[in-house]
Amino acid sequence: MNWTPFSFIVINLARQIRAGEITFSGVNSTLPMLACLLAKRAYDFPFTYINVAGGVEPQPVSVPQSSSDPAIVHGSPAIFANQDFYDLCARGGLDLVYLGCAQIDAEGRTNVSAIGSWENPKVRLPGGGGAAVMLPTAKRVVTWRTDHTPRALVDKLDFVTASGNMTALVTPLAVFTREPRAGSRFILESYHPQTTIAYIQAHTGFTFDFTQAQVAAPITVRELDALNTLDAGGQFSAAVNH
Amino acid sequence: MTLVAGLRAASYGIPFQPVAGVHGSELARINNWQTMRDPYGSGRDVYVVPAVQPDIAVIHAAEVDAEGNARVYGSPFWDHPLTRAAKRVLLTAEKLVPTDRLREQPELTLVPGFMVEAIAITPGGAWPGSMHPYYDIDYPAVEHYMQDADGVLESHLAAAPEAVAVR
Repeated sequence: MNWTPFSFIVINLARQIRAGEITFSGVNSTLPMLACLLAKRAYDFPFTYINVAGGVEPQPVSVPQSSSDPAIVHGSPAIFANQDFYDLCARGGLDLVYLGCAQIDAEGRTNVSAIGSWENPKVRLPGGGGAAVMLPTAKRVVTWRTDHTPRALVDKLDFVTASGNMTALVTPLAVFTREPRAGSRFILESYHPQTTIAYIQAHTGFTFDFTQAQVAAPITVRELDALNTLDAGGQFSAAVNH
Repeated sequence: MTLVAGLRAASYGIPFQPVAGVHGSELARINNWQTMRDPYGSGRDVYVVPAVQPDIAVIHAAEVDAEGNARVYGSPFWDHPLTRAAKRVLLTAEKLVPTDRLREQPELTLVPGFMVEAIAITPGGAWPGSMHPYYDIDYPAVEHYMQDADGVLESHLAAAPEAVAVR
């Protein structure tokens, strides 16, 4: 069972979840949404999944294209909408939050505001959607990129949208992790079996420790079955594996 | 989330609102957000953001009666803080229902009629978004709208429920 960029990202995002945690996925976060739904199917431990549509432990009949589609509330025994989950995060009650990034640096700070200067940007980005509050207040934050380029994994951000408890970055090639404390840097934890550390270094804008890096653990049958079920139509993998 | 804090300040009737986090974000600099030391002695510095009071909030409800009492099914997203923060509230809704139906379960009423200035019954009014439990997101319509080409906006507007209804 070979990894694809899609399966590498989703499964390694799912592997960040720990038993008993309260986990949250937000807007424009299709891959973390799939990761949470995959973890429910592939892993035996309990955890709570909350999403930005207000779903708590949803049982969607089909997986929506958008991670904020109200279809992702289907089957929830409770609605825990925007004010509630933001407040929960603010008071330290969210264990694992997935937040996106356009750029990320070695200390896990993110930019989702602008490429170029804020005052005169080359590209104006959609903004943080709560990232400036969630990254420092969630216990752990995990992010992802569907590309692995020095344009996205940078030495210096064009703009610091959010800073705080980033603990993992998953790309199609690599999983970086860091301790959630000031000054801590990403280290290479694991990587795709068909790439090399030298290739990852050449495509990463920041320097990193790789002395503990290992080839990623193989996909399990249950992970693959869950992923194939969630992506039965193939539309989610097609969006990443182009 | 800082926006919600601003809306909360408006709904509480105060000029600013403390908010968690924000430390280490350049958003504080560009928005000129200030910190305050906890006046009760914890030693913590907390960001405070100014009130955000919309002149008008417009929300789309599932059911409304003639007085403007409105139900929203499923997730309310931002409907609660928005309607409490705004100076004026306008409602569109899928269906007009008798007030007696709302009396059966008043806890399902998200917006009481006394807050509402005007209503309009607009079936399909959330299109191309979704309206639980009546219809889902119209993804093809969203993708069409996202195209950067001549005539896209015109054809999008021509396909909207309100345009189809008057034809």
